[in-house]
Amino acid sequence: MTVNQSSSSPKRALGRKRAVSLAGCAVTVLLTVTACGGGTAGTTTKDGFAQAPQKDGTLTVWVDATRMDAAKLYQKLHPEVKLDIVSYDGDANGSNYLQTKVQLFNRTGKGWPDVVFSSQNNETSWAVDAGFAAPLNKGLIPESTLGKFAKGANDVCTVDGTVYCLRNDLSQAVLWYNAPLMKKFGYTVPTTWEEYQKLGTKVAKEHPGYLVGDAGDSFTPEIYLWASKCGANHITGPKSVSVNTTSEACTRMAKLLDVLIKNKSMSISGVFSTDFGKNQADKVLLMPGPAWFGGAVFKDTLKVPARQIAVAPIPQWQGDGAPSTGNVGGGTWLLSQHSTHLKAATDFLTWVTTDNAYQGEKAPGFPAYGPAAEAWLKGQDASGYFASDLGALSAASSQVWPEWGSGQFSQEAIWASTVKPGLTQGKSIVSMLPAWQDSIVKHAKSNGYKVEQ
Amino acid sequence: MTLSHSPSGSARRRPSGTDRQSRAGIAFVAAYVLLLIAFGVLPTGYAVYFAFTDAGGTFTGFSNFVTTAQDFRFMDAVGHVALYLLFWLVSLVVFVVSLALLLHRLASGALSKSLRFLFYIPGALAGAASVLVWLFMLDPTVSPVSSLLGMLGFDTFGEVIAPGNLPLLFTVIAFWTGAGGWIVVIYGALNNIPTDVMEAARIDGAGAWQTAWHIQIPMLRKWIVYMVILAFAGGAQLFVEPQLLSLASVGVAGRDYSLNQLTYDFAFQMNNVNGAAAVSVELLVVSVSAAAVFVARSGFFDAD
Amino acid sequence: MPTSSPRRLVPRLLTGSVLLVFLVFFVLPVLWLVLAATKTDQQLVHGHPLSFGSLHTLKANWDALTAFQDNAVLQWLGNSTLYALISLVITLCVAVPAGYALAMTEFRGRHTLLVSTLVVMLMPTATLVVPLFLEINAVRLIGTMWSIILPYSFYPFGVYLTYIYFTTAVPKDLLAAARMDGCSEFGVFRHIALPLATPVIALVGFFSFVANWTNYFLPYVMLPESGQMPIQVGVGTLLSNVPSFNPAVGTLAIERPQLALATLVAITPVLIVFLFAQRFLVSGMLAGATKE
Repeated sequence: MTVNQSSSSPKRALGRKRAVSLAGCAVTVLLTVTACGGGTAGTTTKDGFAQAPQKDGTLTVWVDATRMDAAKLYQKLHPEVKLDIVSYDGDANGSNYLQTKVQLFNRTGKGWPDVVFSSQNNETSWAVDAGFAAPLNKGLIPESTLGKFAKGANDVCTVDGTVYCLRNDLSQAVLWYNAPLMKKFGYTVPTTWEEYQKLGTKVAKEHPGYLVGDAGDSFTPEIYLWASKCGANHITGPKSVSVNTTSEACTRMAKLLDVLIKNKSMSISGVFSTDFGKNQADKVLLMPGPAWFGGAVFKDTLKVPARQIAVAPIPQWQGDGAPSTGNVGGGTWLLSQHSTHLKAATDFLTWVTTDNAYQGEKAPGFPAYGPAAEAWLKGQDASGYFASDLGALSAASSQVWPEWGSGQFSQEAIWASTVKPGLTQGKSIVSMLPAWQDSIVKHAKSNGYKVEQ
Repeated sequence: MTLSHSPSGSARRRPSGTDRQSRAGIAFVAAYVLLLIAFGVLPTGYAVYFAFTDAGGTFTGFSNFVTTAQDFRFMDAVGHVALYLLFWLVSLVVFVVSLALLLHRLASGALSKSLRFLFYIPGALAGAASVLVWLFMLDPTVSPVSSLLGMLGFDTFGEVIAPGNLPLLFTVIAFWTGAGGWIVVIYGALNNIPTDVMEAARIDGAGAWQTAWHIQIPMLRKWIVYMVILAFAGGAQLFVEPQLLSLASVGVAGRDYSLNQLTYDFAFQMNNVNGAAAVSVELLVVSVSAAAVFVARSGFFDAD
Repeated sequence: MPTSSPRRLVPRLLTGSVLLVFLVFFVLPVLWLVLAATKTDQQLVHGHPLSFGSLHTLKANWDALTAFQDNAVLQWLGNSTLYALISLVITLCVAVPAGYALAMTEFRGRHTLLVSTLVVMLMPTATLVVPLFLEINAVRLIGTMWSIILPYSFYPFGVYLTYIYFTTAVPKDLLAAARMDGCSEFGVFRHIALPLATPVIALVGFFSFVANWTNYFLPYVMLPESGQMPIQVGVGTLLSNVPSFNPAVGTLAIERPQLALATLVAITPVLIVFLFAQRFLVSGMLAGATKE
């Protein structure tokens, strides 16, 4: 780019000098800025990581709006702890807020929160590499506590045997159903997928319009295909994944869904869509879905009256000896390696994930910590909303199929953008399984994963 | 890019005025230059530096550009943005200029004023605030224009947001939020066309159409060029509209749709600030080239 | 050109119908939003899209909205106002003289300045966030409101608006005449240019206010405390607590009508400022002034 000026005078030289000095000034600031960061002097290695010098001060915790209650309750019960509660979006919808901020803090060398809640299960996929998440099973949290979490609950937090976060709640899939309606129609709750499909076909004929499920949400694969042991998302190492969406386990569930979608006993709207809320809210007979459907979907969104919704175990394939189910979300708590108040941070983390005062009595989701889950179930039974006890949730909490992981790429987003538009156009899920695989593989690779097909 | 400064300034040089003017000019821009360097030049320079280095700060030539271009979403995104730009620029220039001219011709000042206000209101609804609006507008089950959507053959939200409709939808959303502000700008500029010029045209017997085409639009040249330059850059950096639709549809449409969305993805999801910077620099080069063409053809930088 | 009324009628009808179509296009979604705030979530889905709920429901929605994190909404509004106003003042003090000087005076580096302003204006913002964060950190302003006010105050768009305004609407001869009368350069600016610039000052002020008010990403990344959030980030937070947008939220913290109400609250100040600024935007100060 050239700029032609017509005159040349002493003033011009001055102007040039000024321009040079401005540029010089810019470079100086640039270098100063670049030089910042780092600075890990005076650390001691303990509990499996290099710890910053410990001191007193305010404990900073980041929570989403829902977990705000937990932090406030802790402050009330422990008035002596100096707590700075910061509310953020909890990384909802994969906003990557936490990751973004930690990247910036890593560059400036300060600013990290001590304890963070995230509504995502895949934070360890970057937080370990970024040197943010502290190992918890190397001394900070005793094995006796870790052992009481539901089986597999902390799998999403575990990298090469080290636990880097604690699970807040579980979202194991179960079979929700409308008990009075089932009775009225004279149906029994199916225990196998074969029976489930038969019932769906029967409903389509005898009571058209009523639904045995919904396959329109982005988490559809996590309810049905995960439960069917479809190996679409087997995270085999910190940066490796095995993907196979066309195995028998995948195709037979896809076929089942296709049959029920075709005879319209399965909706493809998605339970939170306005379409579902307006036209199908009172047509739910059966609905495979995660633990949080009970409150968030039936009670709050669809406004189903009390004493109607009941829960049963999710169906299994006939002859399958090892019952399995899927999982949709569930939050995690992380502790910062850079914390200068590790003692206080660990106390808070332990309390918030295990104590009955919050997890047992106040938590909206099914607690991942076993003893708290028992108390929570008692509370739910006592509330009198459900038409059955919630024992099926307890049983399912340890049956989540372990070979479906939480990678850095979002399976929900991939399904939503790859399979959902095809469903709307009337394509079958079976026909889209290869395209789905292709999309997963591409996303995984672009996130730096080694992919096995 | 070559910007030839017109020599008229030096030819008409007033003996004592120029040095004084020059000093005063520098004084008037001093504070702005400080801000420009701190929050414009420096970050941009830093981003360019990122684009040509790796995470460790080692110079890597064009490797960031090559790697990001090989991402499987890159070429799709280029196509999406190109198509969107076409829709967006045409609709913006045609409709904004026409609406401003029509409003300017309205006999009733109060009506013109109210209409400008009403056209502007969506401009205040930025980003997150309008997700809810578009979710409900585009969903035939609950939309106030469901009969219109039905006539176009759409019965479900999923059909409305089918991939083929997206460039048009994003144009509609962007126009809805962005046009009102530009209408105000162009209208204001129309007002500054001296009345005697308009009067002369009227006496010459020019109709509304001729006046607009031969008098008003040429006199708005700089404003229109400025709008096109910014609209081109804004369109090439398409981000808010697909992001918004992606939120409304829970990821079905609009995720990783545009180049700028990819830069966010690279920077904050994949922790690859350098790759993100490379894509940003590409967008910058495209926008600056387009701007250079418009500037060169319009004498945009001439002081007079 | 001889005109008869039937020949005038057709273009008038055409003008009227074009304006009407665009009026519906711009206003209908806003009208829907206003009505949405008066309904319950059930009514929003089941009732007619353009029906009015009730004032009672509006009150209930307001109570629910303000109950979110103890009046957080009001705090966000206060923060936004503070940030937008301070940067507005700095922007006007900086951008208007700069645009004037670029348009009306000749000085070394004028072209460089015009070009570099345009170039940084065209730079995509995604990658600027990291450098900005590091810069702000280097001057130890992270965590203060200056970390967003200072970047806001850099408003190249406004400099260009002023620049174009002066080059197209203010005759140079007018300034030359004032100089002949012995005005200093500052005097020319203060007594001749500024009074003529009212429309563009209103325009720059208004657009700067809106840009600052609606900016989402910068405060989202820069500000560490939730108490410092401006309203746009707040609305984003509310959005992530609506189950339709974030199915996994778990409890029903915010319903859609409350989000609609929050949105209305967020845009009202912008509309008030618009109405105020509109008086000056097109005041036709220059009617009669010649430009040759």
